[in-house]
Amino acid sequence: MAALVALCIGTTLLLLSVMIWWNFQELLNGKSDDSDSLGSSFLTISKNVTDAKMGKPQLTIFSSNEIEEMRYAPEVQDVGVLTSNRFNVYATLNSALNFSTDMFLESVPDRFIDKKPVDWYWQPSNREVPIILSTEFLNLYNYGFAVSKGLPQLSESSIQALGFDLKVGEGDLQQTYRAHIVGFSDRIASVLVPDSFMAYGNRVFGHNAFSEPTRLIVKVKDPSSKAFVQYLQTNDYTTNAEQLRWSKLRSIVEVVTGATGLLAVLLMALGALVFILFIELTIARAQQSITLLLQIGYAPGYLSRFMIKKFFPLLLATAVISMGIAVLVQMGIANWIKVMHLSLPAYPGWPVYVALAVSTLILLSLVAVSIVRAIRNTD
Amino acid sequence: MQLFLQDLVPIPLRDKVNASRSDIWKRERTFNQGNCIFIQAPSGTGKTTLIHMLYGIRKDFSGMLHWDTYNIASISKDDLSQLRAMHVSVVFQDMRLFPELTTWENLEVKRLLTNSVAAEDVERWLQRLGLGDKKDSLAGTLSYGEQQRVAIIRALVQPFEWLLMDEPFSHLDKANTDLAIALITEVVQMNRAGMILADLDDNDHFFYTQKIAL
Repeated sequence: MAALVALCIGTTLLLLSVMIWWNFQELLNGKSDDSDSLGSSFLTISKNVTDAKMGKPQLTIFSSNEIEEMRYAPEVQDVGVLTSNRFNVYATLNSALNFSTDMFLESVPDRFIDKKPVDWYWQPSNREVPIILSTEFLNLYNYGFAVSKGLPQLSESSIQALGFDLKVGEGDLQQTYRAHIVGFSDRIASVLVPDSFMAYGNRVFGHNAFSEPTRLIVKVKDPSSKAFVQYLQTNDYTTNAEQLRWSKLRSIVEVVTGATGLLAVLLMALGALVFILFIELTIARAQQSITLLLQIGYAPGYLSRFMIKKFFPLLLATAVISMGIAVLVQMGIANWIKVMHLSLPAYPGWPVYVALAVSTLILLSLVAVSIVRAIRNTD
Repeated sequence: MQLFLQDLVPIPLRDKVNASRSDIWKRERTFNQGNCIFIQAPSGTGKTTLIHMLYGIRKDFSGMLHWDTYNIASISKDDLSQLRAMHVSVVFQDMRLFPELTTWENLEVKRLLTNSVAAEDVERWLQRLGLGDKKDSLAGTLSYGEQQRVAIIRALVQPFEWLLMDEPFSHLDKANTDLAIALITEVVQMNRAGMILADLDDNDHFFYTQKIAL
């Protein structure tokens, strides 16, 4: 019994460590749209504005060649263009407050938006324009501007309730839209409108000759990769280095799961050893009966098969229990991790089943060999 | 099946065997199937050793011991179990029953190995030897006499060409001995088998074809 419990614990730990490893892999390399994955970092890349480039905005734009080249840069998984407005935008926050300002807008392809709101779309007939604001801008306002000016601090929900007017274009070509902030982004430090609005605005109200972008958003597998950093330096590109902290976390996680896995393998080996000793003890206790059975004509092979049939169900039951625990834990983790706006499958993935199958096969063959050997050695 | 012995010497008894005269040790002997052999062996001459050697339990001997093509000195475990299950049966001097099993279970363990004797026959044999009411008693609780009769029946519930017996009636009174002899004779004839009975003193339990001194 004790042997079975030890084995069960060992197997469960093995499965859990494989599961932890696999879960981190899922999180690190996950491709789900509606959640952040730790694995890929999104970096906004622009060209360094140096003294020599000042006053020459055409030197900071990305040509289509450069964008294409970026797609094949090391570690890069996806490249998107941050399109900025080439028309005048004038925002009036509430006529009563009389707060108004010139502003800029940008847009990115929808797949680069971290938390895409449900009403994130626009078509020319719409009078309302949804806006995603950078969380950093809100923080700047709340902790910098509002405090120093004695203005009220605003929560995300109160800002979303506020509407303001966007005056777009100038002269005869002017149009006023109603704008609403529908969401906040941690990923892109900008004021974002849907791509369709930006395209329409630039076509209808646009005046500026430059059509190429100055900022790119790039999905990178591992931003700490030397090749990628080298690529940025060679081309004199600049990015937000803060994103690189994930890569450190990632290597820590890999070390931790590696250590857990090693521990689990050791524990499982210990469990298997205890179980095999238990079998040998059982056979030693039954030595007299086995000897007598051999003496009245039973074949060693028959007795081995009989013992194997007796012990295998116990081992299989252990495997099933361990798998059950692993499934429950996975469901628990999947539930728990939702709170952190991450998502994981509700059931363990194939590496867990493979680990179970391989460890069970090894265990069964070890047990079979030890039974056959113990009976062969009985006279 | 033919039993062939040549220059057989049990290693632990080597000195004793060298010092005395025997019809078996250090001789060449052939026993043919259907022979009924009595081996008279005073205490300490190696009677049980011989039975165990014939049955493949002991291999600490020099010389040759062959059952047809089976060479006991080098027989594999699988061949040995085949020999025991199908060709050579034994009644041990010390009975060797499973004490934690009932009389009936002890017999079934053996019977089911080859399934060559019907359960009803075994039940009838139990009745004949006066063990009808001991069927469900644990073998460990039976008297020696009862255990000996169970051991005899167990030796008969398999196909065999030779029946080895080591003091098979040592715990039985005259009446029970006669019942056992009648049953053994009947089943041995049914199997057209030979038999080797080893005992301390001379007897005429069976029609022996040969009497040998160990």
